[in-house]
Amino acid sequence: MSARRLDAGGRIDRTCPVSFRWDGLTYHGFNGDTLASALMANGQTVLGRSFKYHRPRGIMSAGVEESGAIVSVGAGARQEPNVKATMQELYDGLEARGQNAWPNVHFDLGAVNGLFGRFFSAGFYYKTFMGLPPFEWGRGTGLWMQYEKLIRKAAGMGAASRDADPDAYDHTHAFCDILVVGSGPAGLNAALTAAEAGRDVMLVEQDFELGGDYLNDPAAEAERAEMVAAVGRAGVRILTRTTAFGLYDCGVAGLVERVTDHLAAPDPHLPRQRFWTVRASATVLATGALERSVAFAGNDRPGVMTASAARSYLNRFGILPGQRVVIATTNDSAYGVAADLAAAGGEVTLADARDEVTSAPAGVAMRPGLAPLSTVGRRGVQGVRLATRSGNGWSQAAHEECDLLLVSGGWSPVVNLSSHRGAKPIWNGDLACFLAGPTDEPIHMAGSADGVWNREDCAASGVAAARRAMGEVVEAPAPGGWVRPIQPVYEVRLPGTKAKAFVDPQHDVIGDDVRLAHQEGFVSVEHLKRYTTLGMATDQGKMGNVIGLALMAEALGREVPAVGTTRFRPPYTPVAIGALAGRNVAGHFKPLRRTPLHDWNLRHGATMTEAGLWQRTWYFARAGETITEAYIREAATVRQTVGVCDVSSLGKIAVQGPDAAEFLNRVYTNAFAKLPIGKARYGIMLRDDGIVMDDGTTWRLGEADFLMTTTTTNAGRVMVWLEELLQTRWPYLRVHVTSVTDRWAGVSVAGPKARETIAACLELGTDISTEALPFMGVAPVTLKGGVKGLIARISFSGEQAYELYVPADQGEEMMDLLWPATEKLGGCLYGLEALGALRIEKGHVTGAELDGRMTIDDAGLGKMASSKKPYIGAALRQRPELTRADRPRLVGIFPKDRSQTFNGGALLCAKGRVSGFGEGWVTAVTHSPALGHWIGLGYIAGGHEAWAGKSVTAADPVRRGNVEVEIVSPHMFDPEGVRMHG
Amino acid sequence: MADGISAVQDRLIPGRSGPSGATGVRIAEIRPFALIQFAAWHDTLAQTAGEAAMAAGAKVAPGPGRTATGALGVLLRVEPLKWWLVGDAGEVLLPVAGSGAVLDLSRSRTRLHISGPQAARLLNHVLPLDLSAAAFPEGSVASTAFHHVGVTLWRDRDGFTLFLPRSFAASLFEILTASATQYGLEIA
Repeated sequence: MSARRLDAGGRIDRTCPVSFRWDGLTYHGFNGDTLASALMANGQTVLGRSFKYHRPRGIMSAGVEESGAIVSVGAGARQEPNVKATMQELYDGLEARGQNAWPNVHFDLGAVNGLFGRFFSAGFYYKTFMGLPPFEWGRGTGLWMQYEKLIRKAAGMGAASRDADPDAYDHTHAFCDILVVGSGPAGLNAALTAAEAGRDVMLVEQDFELGGDYLNDPAAEAERAEMVAAVGRAGVRILTRTTAFGLYDCGVAGLVERVTDHLAAPDPHLPRQRFWTVRASATVLATGALERSVAFAGNDRPGVMTASAARSYLNRFGILPGQRVVIATTNDSAYGVAADLAAAGGEVTLADARDEVTSAPAGVAMRPGLAPLSTVGRRGVQGVRLATRSGNGWSQAAHEECDLLLVSGGWSPVVNLSSHRGAKPIWNGDLACFLAGPTDEPIHMAGSADGVWNREDCAASGVAAARRAMGEVVEAPAPGGWVRPIQPVYEVRLPGTKAKAFVDPQHDVIGDDVRLAHQEGFVSVEHLKRYTTLGMATDQGKMGNVIGLALMAEALGREVPAVGTTRFRPPYTPVAIGALAGRNVAGHFKPLRRTPLHDWNLRHGATMTEAGLWQRTWYFARAGETITEAYIREAATVRQTVGVCDVSSLGKIAVQGPDAAEFLNRVYTNAFAKLPIGKARYGIMLRDDGIVMDDGTTWRLGEADFLMTTTTTNAGRVMVWLEELLQTRWPYLRVHVTSVTDRWAGVSVAGPKARETIAACLELGTDISTEALPFMGVAPVTLKGGVKGLIARISFSGEQAYELYVPADQGEEMMDLLWPATEKLGGCLYGLEALGALRIEKGHVTGAELDGRMTIDDAGLGKMASSKKPYIGAALRQRPELTRADRPRLVGIFPKDRSQTFNGGALLCAKGRVSGFGEGWVTAVTHSPALGHWIGLGYIAGGHEAWAGKSVTAADPVRRGNVEVEIVSPHMFDPEGVRMHG
Repeated sequence: MADGISAVQDRLIPGRSGPSGATGVRIAEIRPFALIQFAAWHDTLAQTAGEAAMAAGAKVAPGPGRTATGALGVLLRVEPLKWWLVGDAGEVLLPVAGSGAVLDLSRSRTRLHISGPQAARLLNHVLPLDLSAAAFPEGSVASTAFHHVGVTLWRDRDGFTLFLPRSFAASLFEILTASATQYGLEIA
């Protein structure tokens, strides 16, 4: 190939030179170039190495279907592999290199694979290395696991950066009446027609310029410019550099806009890419058609490309891509290419597979009845052998020297997006291509995407599609438009010969692979695809699928439609993971919840941990303290004096209405109907199947006004559950539930000096004595300074304890009162770790124990299940399986040797019988400051009574090993609750 | 400190960021404000509507998806059976529950006002709503989702008001402002 940039012509800006680097050397191109066109103009012919055989590859197309010029772009953290050079806009400072080659694409040691190509047929690796004889005859994949690593290294595409992606990506939503995909003659006309009729239109173009096929024809520039100006005037919203990669339910389209990929120094405030979710009432697909090649020996040699690609390079990029050009065609479309190349100074020979030729373009030598048989040359094409039909096959007929071989095997309309919606493509034998199948959805094909070949017809097709999208009944131009019918040719080979005739060049699938698959019994096209990997490369078979199908059909002795086609799936072209993630990365991967005391806690030395979406205080380490030392100190301080813990994250739900009490009575296992105003009650709710769902206290604030608290992590689930019950099961109950979690800042103040601490913070004269505020009492309070809140005497720690709530914005005010009072009495702040220690000592359950498998009896709370009223789960908790005597029961666990510890998650087994799932498991372990040794909670069959005096092993084979333990009552500290009521 | 502390206080740094040129988006927090919920029963809808309208000083309570401005505040119809009364004052006396249920939701939401020529475009980065003037005109309100979190959006004459649950507000504010700088962001 001896491509050269012409002095004039094309759409590049010769006044705007651009320098870029390719494989470490600096080259120059112009504004308006793609990386491919710039490399071509600089005489670079070998741009990549193929997937399996490491064959040298050059530019094969001028668009998304590119299978040869696949390169890596960018450096460092921004290195991106598998970029199609034909789609990469050139910019100043662009850095690109070849991939899948060592040391480089010009001299690649991996090319030795090509010498052994006869072995690398479809399924070669599996057949050879799985159960490798004689080592693993007929069994095993052990050796495969080793070989696979080497194979992966040898075969493949480029490598992604291992560094974190430094760029930002946006998500965005858009709505429109009509979405037009593609801005060629059909797309522009569709957009203009709809917009002029008053519709809100979005026009999406993957290229950086509007125009589609207009861009390849200088004679059409005036028409293009007028259309582009008209759609702008008509108010069409235009997105260039944007690919509609998928269509989904209800008119949803997924787009990726490449915002800064073409800029040398992008504004740092701009995202690199933008992921659009567009909801359109109707969609017009003017996605064009892709020219396909023909399978013949050496059809992948650099210097072989599609005929239309040469036209793009000539007319759009001002490059004569070869001097001696042979064009091998099966249809009329290559005649215009031949004429343009000849006019630009090329010596053009046009070989038409069809026998009868009507008229040769000026200056073009015609060779009718010939098709390409094989190429000659090393790094680039130097000649082509042509064949003529003989009987059912071909025989060699001629040889032409050339430096550029253009092939047109026909055109494949881009029906991918319609196929995403399940519209099965239908084979059109006259045009030798698939057309979009019928669909009930408002999706309308237009232009060459609908098999319409002539530009005028495409324009009319676009108008018709827009009018159909607007609900009119319009006749669309019929597919076709060539003067003489296409003569389908899919593969040219001499009978009995073997050759590398590529069907899918990107995955190195050759015609023989398809035939081998047939010989080995593959019939279904879906199986063929997976066995040969045909169409499974990053281009999803844009080039090769039709040829592969045709070869399979031939092998089966059937017609193409009888073999079927595979369904296209999104994305049409690859989408960066970063674009899918958008801004929901790192700390924003999940929405993060902070309590109103978050910053206050941090200022006072908190280390935070995650609880669901919440950030909660974990522990407050003093200088030099470990987490263990910190929580033991905190828990001990609570037992000795007082501690303050942020509990704002507990779920809080306002339950209001005249039927609120009745509602709660049905939801909770215990009675709530007669809960007095100003009192709280601990409640447990079950699922329908009788398993415990959640627990918490509910406070009666008024006759028809309750405040339900839930666990932090189950708040959302409980809220949804209550809504579901009210909306579907008991819509007649007059109850409203509203989440008020975010309204309150809440703390637990616990310890023998809790009352004293709080009293110091309340307005003078406020009485919170046991008489005024008994255990489980609730009352409104006013803090010093006037902040109004709620106080409830509730204990999770087993100490005298209160929960104090104030409006969220006033949380810090509350802490600024409470903390000095606490310090004054020798108290401390405590976090989840100490809270855990305190509740384990008391045998109070949390999510670790109520894990969605346990019944209320398992958790030792069976006496809270009323026998006097119905409630959710009342019936199914009585199932035989849930009432077996040997069900696991909540127990306390002590290490036999009190100096030892054991692990949460360990299995509890009878001593000497460590096997299987054991008799139970450990749910929580802590060091107990009150007892002075490690303790745990867990479940064991039959409960602690059944294991009194028996030896039990806490087995943890992969971590700590076996520890001898004793099973005790779960109420390990202050079982009578004296301290709590004190 | 009578008004307490805003959930986005540390992130609400007045100033301009983004590329030079026109300011596309202005974000301001509005506080304090009172937020009272009126919830009706199916058969008392009209009665509760009247009570809500009276509390707001409005003639009538708005229909679904709409707002009504009265002398004492703005009523938002946030659910088929629920209105929110947004009051200017930091505190309002809770009206006595009449025919329905009344609930004080003050301090449970962070209230952001988003204005400027690119306000709708910015909001569409995070909200799957058609915010065109035709589909979401002035006086519209919607309960929608921002990064899976339920939020409330209301359009007034000057722009949009976004109510974010207070606990999520700081996190969502970060996403919003990170998306906004590309348009030229001014935080008031």
